[in-house]
Amino acid sequence: MSIFDVIGPVMIGPSSSHTAGAAKIGLLARNVYHQPFNKVSICLYNSFADTGPGHGTQHALVGGLLGFSMDDERIPNALEIAKKEGIEVNFTFLEDPEKHPNYVTITIQQHQQNPFTISGISIGGGHAKIVDINHNKVEFSGKHDLLILEYRDTCGMVAFVGDLLAKNTINIAYMQISRDAIEERALAVLKLDTPVPETLMEILKNKEGIYTAVAVPRWKEDI
Amino acid sequence: MTLPKRIRIKAWADVIKQMKDLALPDLYDFFLSYEAKNTEISEAKLIGKMHHHLTIMRESIERGLQEPNRTKSGLIKGGAFHMKQFTQKGASLLSKNFSLMISRVLAVSELNACMGRIVAAPTAGACGVMPGVLITIAENHGKTDEELVKSLFVAGGIGEIIALRASLSGSTHGCQAEVGSASAMSAGALVYLMGGEPSMVESAAAFALKNILGLVCDPVAGRVELPCVKRNVMGASNALACAEMALAGIPTLIPLDEVIDAMAQIGNLMPCSLKETSMGGLAVSPSAQYIKKSIVL
Repeated sequence: MSIFDVIGPVMIGPSSSHTAGAAKIGLLARNVYHQPFNKVSICLYNSFADTGPGHGTQHALVGGLLGFSMDDERIPNALEIAKKEGIEVNFTFLEDPEKHPNYVTITIQQHQQNPFTISGISIGGGHAKIVDINHNKVEFSGKHDLLILEYRDTCGMVAFVGDLLAKNTINIAYMQISRDAIEERALAVLKLDTPVPETLMEILKNKEGIYTAVAVPRWKEDI
Repeated sequence: MTLPKRIRIKAWADVIKQMKDLALPDLYDFFLSYEAKNTEISEAKLIGKMHHHLTIMRESIERGLQEPNRTKSGLIKGGAFHMKQFTQKGASLLSKNFSLMISRVLAVSELNACMGRIVAAPTAGACGVMPGVLITIAENHGKTDEELVKSLFVAGGIGEIIALRASLSGSTHGCQAEVGSASAMSAGALVYLMGGEPSMVESAAAFALKNILGLVCDPVAGRVELPCVKRNVMGASNALACAEMALAGIPTLIPLDEVIDAMAQIGNLMPCSLKETSMGGLAVSPSAQYIKKSIVL
């Protein structure tokens, strides 16, 4: 805990878990997807589904997806703004006792491209975590600079990335990898102490076997 | 004496002990060092951040009083604005300042319900208490923003201890943990602002929390509106009365740490239906059920 967890965050009301946390999930999802999009399908679960509509949860999620921070006064109008920007948004509401009380799955799409799904949970006090990317279990809240790689599972890929980062004195604090099957699609989430510069991102994007490489900046404090 | 790398606390008693051990002159210095050490952010930056929070608190009071606030549900219909007009008429039952404080607490709480920008203190549901009480009393007594910021750090420190020993969340311990904590934090901060000793700060916070022990969280139609907004006013009024008693030198016989532990125990005994689920209490009254059905999103 920190004193600024007690006095703070600065946020759009009315609920730190259902509004501020939802906005954070939306913004993290936007940063991870990292591309333009024109269609979003949002599935709210459990308490998010039950009391979300009374707490502006949908506006907050869409606001985050549009790039608004949790204290942005455009959040109450986020659905109208998305419509104006030509983004189609639809919602579904489900119960699933297996899932966290404040769970949301967001499917983002640009025209006919493959849909990208990302799930998050809001854990109170405006704090939130991403827990799933394209059906791979992950866990991050934005405390670190992130490097997210989708690649073909190959012997030596992790060594290549680790070596590249080490040569540039970028320390890996945590790392999660998962894959569909041997030599199939794999996902790596690296939590780093410093951001990956653009030059390294280019090397990663051009590396054979890496489908996508995204750098997600550390969660920006409100000051 | 050089400060350790991290400062660990679990109790108010630890704060008092470590303040002496580390030769820190007062509560503000302690909580500022605590925050700076544990977050590895410079003290200057933290002070700047608290000034920013104070600015947002002031803005939320102004915004909330500009015009009658109305929520989509219709449960809030401009209470703060009416209260302000009543105060201006000079018709107050109590002092004009007390009436002004009530209108400010209402203003921030209503703004929160209307999706306005507020500082969660300690939660969004209880965000009206602290700005209403502290800013009004600081004005009345000619306190500077620097002094107010110091008292906000003390308020945050009290909240931190409640969070470490119990919880600040209505879904965990009921409204006693939200408005109760906001009231305890405000009472302690008020005493600090007025130059009270640490033992008086503790008494004020302990009184305020004791008075709200057992308060359940039973929001009508699951919204942070009814009874939340007016419970903020209760928390603010309670904070003032408790600060006044502590400043008069009345001591708490039960230490703050034990009051917090009692709150946690009560919170654990409280049924889920009374912890932010809207399945008990006011939320299931016939009128609340009727309101719930009539709300069109």
